[in-house]
Amino acid sequence: MGEDSQKQSVLVVDDECNIRRAVQYILEHQGFAVDSAADGQEAIAKIQQEPPDLVLLDIKMPNGNGYDVCQSIRSDDGLSHVKILMLSACCKDIAIEKAMALGADGYVTKPFCTADLISTVNRYCAQGDVEHA
Amino acid sequence: MLEKYGLRARFALFFALIAVAVPVVIAVAMFLAVQRMGENPVSQLVLFGGLASFALMGVVVWVAQMFDTHVARPIVTVSRDLQTLLHANPDHMIDEGEARYLGILGPTVREASETMRRLRSDIGKEVEAATKSLEDERTRLETVLRDLNEGVIVCDLGHRVLLYNRRAMHALSSGGDLGLSRPIFNVVNRPPFRNTLERLRNRLSSGRYKNHPDYLMAPFVFATRGGKSVLQGKMSLLVDEAEEQPQGYVLTFSDATEQISSLSTRDKLLRNALEDFRGPIANVRTTAEVLEQAQDMPEDLRRSFVTGLAQDAGDLADRIVQLSDDYQAIKTSLWPMSDVNSANVLSCIEQRYRDHPVLRCDVSGEACWMHCDSNTIIELMDHLIRGVPGATGAQTFTLQAELGENRRYLDIVWDGDPMQASEVERLLDEEIENGASVMTGYDVLDHHRSDVWSERIDANRSRLRMPMPDPNTEHSTQVSGALPIRLEFYDFGLLSRTESAGDLGDRRLRDLTYVVFDTETTGLEPSNGDEMISIAGVRIVNNRVLTGECFDRLIDPGRLVPARSTQVHGISNEMVAGQPPVHEILPRFRDYVGDSVLVAHNAAFDLRFIELKEKETGVRFDNPVLDTVLLSAIVHDHTDQHTLDAVAERFNIEIPEEKRHTALGDSLATAQVFLKMVDLLEANGIHTLSEAQAASEKLVQIRRRQAEY
Repeated sequence: MGEDSQKQSVLVVDDECNIRRAVQYILEHQGFAVDSAADGQEAIAKIQQEPPDLVLLDIKMPNGNGYDVCQSIRSDDGLSHVKILMLSACCKDIAIEKAMALGADGYVTKPFCTADLISTVNRYCAQGDVEHA
Repeated sequence: MLEKYGLRARFALFFALIAVAVPVVIAVAMFLAVQRMGENPVSQLVLFGGLASFALMGVVVWVAQMFDTHVARPIVTVSRDLQTLLHANPDHMIDEGEARYLGILGPTVREASETMRRLRSDIGKEVEAATKSLEDERTRLETVLRDLNEGVIVCDLGHRVLLYNRRAMHALSSGGDLGLSRPIFNVVNRPPFRNTLERLRNRLSSGRYKNHPDYLMAPFVFATRGGKSVLQGKMSLLVDEAEEQPQGYVLTFSDATEQISSLSTRDKLLRNALEDFRGPIANVRTTAEVLEQAQDMPEDLRRSFVTGLAQDAGDLADRIVQLSDDYQAIKTSLWPMSDVNSANVLSCIEQRYRDHPVLRCDVSGEACWMHCDSNTIIELMDHLIRGVPGATGAQTFTLQAELGENRRYLDIVWDGDPMQASEVERLLDEEIENGASVMTGYDVLDHHRSDVWSERIDANRSRLRMPMPDPNTEHSTQVSGALPIRLEFYDFGLLSRTESAGDLGDRRLRDLTYVVFDTETTGLEPSNGDEMISIAGVRIVNNRVLTGECFDRLIDPGRLVPARSTQVHGISNEMVAGQPPVHEILPRFRDYVGDSVLVAHNAAFDLRFIELKEKETGVRFDNPVLDTVLLSAIVHDHTDQHTLDAVAERFNIEIPEEKRHTALGDSLATAQVFLKMVDLLEANGIHTLSEAQAASEKLVQIRRRQAEY
């Protein structure tokens, strides 16, 4: 736990089991403390229980979609430090504008290259560090 | 002094003077000759006889002059005044100064002209009353035509344009300038028209149209000249009452360039996607099956399969991303949409809530243009407004449009918190009424490639925001209601006009097509470097000035515009800077003129400027020319005042001060003057172009001879 508490924490929220497992595996290999959730409700519960540094958030999910999760994180002042990266197969520029309008910090379109995902996650976590410092 | 005598008394006095002068002069001459007879009788007789002759000649010349001043000139002036009054200007006044010598003729003619004016006015009022309802109908039809979203053109069987609306003019503008009485092939490609018309004529002549589902109509696709725009249209044959003879055709169409281009791009994308994805997907499938089945595969072989699998998957991902980008780039959806002003959409919604017991909507902010199906957007916004109170408690809304950095938005704003995204999605999943088909909010948004979200604007206010596609064309910020209603875009009189096959010169003046033009220049000496800075023209077809088909361009003269000429026409160096040069404008003017007869006030001046540019522009104007200065001298030979202002005043044509000395303003004034002149020329026995040209040439010869002396 002592070592884990030094690590940046990431919550991967996606209803696709394979993606969730793959992203969790990749990020853990990069030294992140990774947890996952399969729908919106589970994600909100986990974020409120233990706020992560960054949430990788799919948009289309059962029980509260990604936009809902995004809005509820942004409506809670205690979670303002949590970075939100939307993860979606929808690459329309209006979808990206919508995500940003609802409080997301970044947007990654599926399919993505794992190296790109890792560098994006690193960049947003580093930003969070700077803002925290 | 003589005016106090009557006309007959003056006549008698003139001749009495001659009658008295002859014997008196001869008697005096004879008396003086007899007095000096002694010295040299023959020479005295010759001397006094000669003196008497000169004296008599002087008396006769004086009497002739008096006769001209008191009789001949007043009669000519009154005759011209009467002609002007009868044919050109009913308000024209008889010149009383001249007429005063003609006894009761002047007052009688004035009385007759006033009676005629009064009768004309009475008849005019009756005609006005009788045609008022017809005019109202016409205005309504014109308004409908003007606001139609489709282009409409009516042609005769010779493909000459009899009518077109503003939409048609814009849609075909890439092919050239559409004009009344001009062949439609000036702006569109010929074959589809000829083929479709041929098909319809065959259908009519064979009688097949009676059982044909499309009757006398056929859909077809055509392109503008040069192929820049592709249009989808329907041609309907116009037939006589007996449905036997074709008269012409009506064409309705819309611009399908973007739609056809989008569809073909979409087809291509689909075709490429099917071909491009088939290979990598086959590889992935085979490799995955091999890896799953061959458990005892050597490690290095397994690794190479996995590497290949990763490569194929990456390749597929790249292609999907590319396909998605390409698809995004296709702007047009198949759903019919048009450019709409946000004010029209939002005020429709506002009106729905005027009498609502609870909810209130107000429109605020500036309007902007967007491309949408206004009907479904109005229904969707209405549906969303009704959904907000349940989620937020808000009951009062402000509707506004916003021109964002990259796109346009329609916003529903209220005081309070934003809606949850899932609430918005629930509303969008519901079916909305649009009177045409059953669709959800998401369907409407898909047609517009749009989305809706709710966000906070500031501490107190939130909004539902809906991005809208950009309009297809640039629009002025004015709402379309500001456009003039009466447009000169049609003339069914052309349908009954028969083109004379003979020489242009033999055709009646009122049957010809004219382009009346004027130029503004840097000065008066083209041979000393003065240049054109503006050229304008207006067409006269079927004896009507087509104010809707003007040509009006500024020209960069490639030199400074002197301040003194700017004072005359108001065109400054700043105005011409960046305008096209003369070698670009003159060819366009040549196209505009076509085979019309050119008319100008002092045409030689303007033509000289144009002729000097023949080599530079490669454009030659060999059209017949009529000069309104010469025509004025023909029809108003009692005066030497033939400036445009003087002629316009005689014809009671007002030239607005701000338009005077602008190329277009002067062209329009000259055109009106010319139409009045055509009536007067006919009254003077000049009916055809050749006759008008011959009369002008005769006048030029006379003036040339006068100048020589």
